[in-house]
Amino acid sequence: MKPVSKFIKLFGAGALALGGLFASGAIQAQEKYPSRPIEIIVPWGPGGGADQLARKVGKIMEDSMKVSFPVVNAPGATGSTGMTKLLVGQPDGHAISVFIADTHALQVTGNTKWKSGTDFKPLAIMLQQPSAIFVPNDSRFKTWADFEKEAKANPGKLKVAVLGLGSIDDVTLRYLGTKGIKTNAVPFSNPGERYVSILGGHADALYEQAGDVRQMLDNKQMRPLLIFANERVPEFKDIPVSKELGYNVTLPQFRSLIIKAGTPPERVKLLADAIAKAAASPEYKSFLKDSYADPNSYLGPAEAEKFLQHELDAMSALVTSLGK
Amino acid sequence: MDIFSQLAAGFANVFVPANLLALAIGTVAGMLVAVLPGLTLVMGVVLALPFTYTLGVTPAVILLTAMYITGTYGGAFTAILFKVPGEPLDVPLLWDGWRMAQNGRPAEALGWTLFAAFFAGILTVSAMVLMAVPFAKFALKFDAPDYFAIIVFGLTSVVALGGASLTNAFISMFIGLFIATIGVDETFGAERFVFGVPLLADGVEYLTVMVGAYGLGEVLVRFEQGFKTAPMSMGAKVQTKLPKLVDAMRMRATIARSSLIGLLCGIVPGAGATIASFVSYGVERQYGEHKGKLGSGIPEGIVAPQIASTASVGGHMVPLLVLGIPGSGATAVILGAFLLHGVQPGPQIFQTQPLMVYTLFASMFVAVFAMCLLGYFAIKPLVRVLYFPEAITSAYVVMLCFIGAFAARNNLTDLWMVGLFGVIGYLFERFKFPIAPMILGCILGPTAERTFQTTMISFQNDWTIFFQRPVSGTVMLLAAIALGVPVIKAWRETYIPAIRRGRK
Repeated sequence: MKPVSKFIKLFGAGALALGGLFASGAIQAQEKYPSRPIEIIVPWGPGGGADQLARKVGKIMEDSMKVSFPVVNAPGATGSTGMTKLLVGQPDGHAISVFIADTHALQVTGNTKWKSGTDFKPLAIMLQQPSAIFVPNDSRFKTWADFEKEAKANPGKLKVAVLGLGSIDDVTLRYLGTKGIKTNAVPFSNPGERYVSILGGHADALYEQAGDVRQMLDNKQMRPLLIFANERVPEFKDIPVSKELGYNVTLPQFRSLIIKAGTPPERVKLLADAIAKAAASPEYKSFLKDSYADPNSYLGPAEAEKFLQHELDAMSALVTSLGK
Repeated sequence: MDIFSQLAAGFANVFVPANLLALAIGTVAGMLVAVLPGLTLVMGVVLALPFTYTLGVTPAVILLTAMYITGTYGGAFTAILFKVPGEPLDVPLLWDGWRMAQNGRPAEALGWTLFAAFFAGILTVSAMVLMAVPFAKFALKFDAPDYFAIIVFGLTSVVALGGASLTNAFISMFIGLFIATIGVDETFGAERFVFGVPLLADGVEYLTVMVGAYGLGEVLVRFEQGFKTAPMSMGAKVQTKLPKLVDAMRMRATIARSSLIGLLCGIVPGAGATIASFVSYGVERQYGEHKGKLGSGIPEGIVAPQIASTASVGGHMVPLLVLGIPGSGATAVILGAFLLHGVQPGPQIFQTQPLMVYTLFASMFVAVFAMCLLGYFAIKPLVRVLYFPEAITSAYVVMLCFIGAFAARNNLTDLWMVGLFGVIGYLFERFKFPIAPMILGCILGPTAERTFQTTMISFQNDWTIFFQRPVSGTVMLLAAIALGVPVIKAWRETYIPAIRRGRK
């Protein structure tokens, strides 16, 4: 081979590579969405309810959107750490986040830098489930009335294990406090520690969603005393709900998917549609059933936005009435 | 006995092809995850979970559990060979393991970790099979003050890490604890030392500190010296050196102590492998026969933390199986795998699914063997790494550091953090400040803070509670002794002669 032809070859290869570069640049300008993985931020640790939701939905959506949905856990501060992560990112539709009622409550109970509606938009409400007060199976409290009686006799003495301060767990307990049922809300952000606290008798009761302690309910290690809902739950027919006892507090636990505000609307729509499809799949329906969740949990973007606003108003009203 | 016949059935079931394949994949995957710093065990198990969706429940759980066990061992390789801990639980392995490798005995150091992992693996699974139910009851005894006391005890191992100066060790530890407070506080959501920088609100990932200060810092030190340490000469040393039984017997007190620490720390939901590893090293420093030589590259310093971290695995699995309580991130994911397949761990599982439970137990035995076999054959090629010129291995260490730090949270800022802590680590080395206490503070700081706040809320700000409860009181007393004795000793050694000189 002559040196000249070698040179031409080299040059040719270089030109080709350069051309390729420009071409890819041109493609990037009108990038097909989604062309790279879409991150699902979970502001909680791996293994919990929010994490399970993200992994379930991500897996279903992978098939329809043809990109992967890696789950990134960013736990801490009742979800604030994960929110920060979403909001410092680019609004290009390559990151969505799980957003749950407890983080939503921070807007009322804490001082968050972000506001729902302006800093992020909901894509869907994915799961709604009532919360409840649980006691160990062998607890001295046979019914909610027993618990109420002792809490009134010794205000602030009974310990209730909760997720964190400023969470809906905390708000609900403070509301009960205004009804004369004063308890001490003890935060355990690690679920293992939270469950040991009541099974080992270190706390008197636990505030939790039934789906998260399913294995302990089915194994008769724990039982609910009071469920925060408007109507009785079919699985727990004998357990009173808050409304019938005259407590006007039904902050349901919800888990939603959100996206940073300012994301191009056509990308938001594409994602929202894919999520709607995933939520309607039999696989997701059975996931809801296994989590003891409302089978009609799903709400689309427009309804989800109304829902979030409604929940926020309800919480603000509640917290104002508590005299924060 | 019933247990043994069921276990035998379990063993037979492990060797069904599907289960055996799951076991093999789990062992290899666990090894890989552990070797990569940044890809933590929990993250690895989480990543593996989707692949188990299509498997049956038994192979799914076998795969994840095998990963979990192997993950407590694999990181020893990078810790000992490169001074890059693969997992936070491997940090204590650096102090004697890496030193021993530097003293020209890398194969021996790896041999000791292999021995420790094997011994602890068999022990922890046996304990689990025989005493699952009483162990689970024990787990329920712990409350927030007890968790906090255990963390404080873990922090007292700082006295073992100081090297020459105890004062410097404390300064370093408090720097670590300070770094751990940066970001949004977990209990009240308050921002601390954020200065309006959103990226700081995320907090400083302890992993970036660990990987930066150790891995990158070490490379910088060598860079300054012009990479002129000659590579080890090839010789008979390449052979895997398993410790002799006599040597192991001589260490029986160390082995007994660290096994117990590992099992107990595993059972307590707030503790786990990392804390077990630190506590065990600290205890060895206080009570071991060769406490004075610890840190200079002696086998006790390798065996104690490795046994404790592997032994904690069984401890963690017990509350999961018997009570349905996940004590750690990894067991939470395994719980997820159970639930996904409609199996609910809890007191009834031994009656409803005995074959599955005992197959799982049996698979853990087999996994320990598989892991050690893999380790045994990996030692020989891996040790060769140290015979390459220093500049080349250093380049790989830098790469490993950055990949690891990025993998942890997919966050580019973390790479800058690794760079920053690399420089800090270098300065620490340069000015003879120990790095280890800083890492210790970073790792244990957040847990210490969280458990302290929970205790204060739970017991109406009564701090005496730490000394009133039997568990926390005992542990606090041990911590006071562990901390007090060396401090007084150091004080007497430095000040009393000074006072005497002053009088003259």
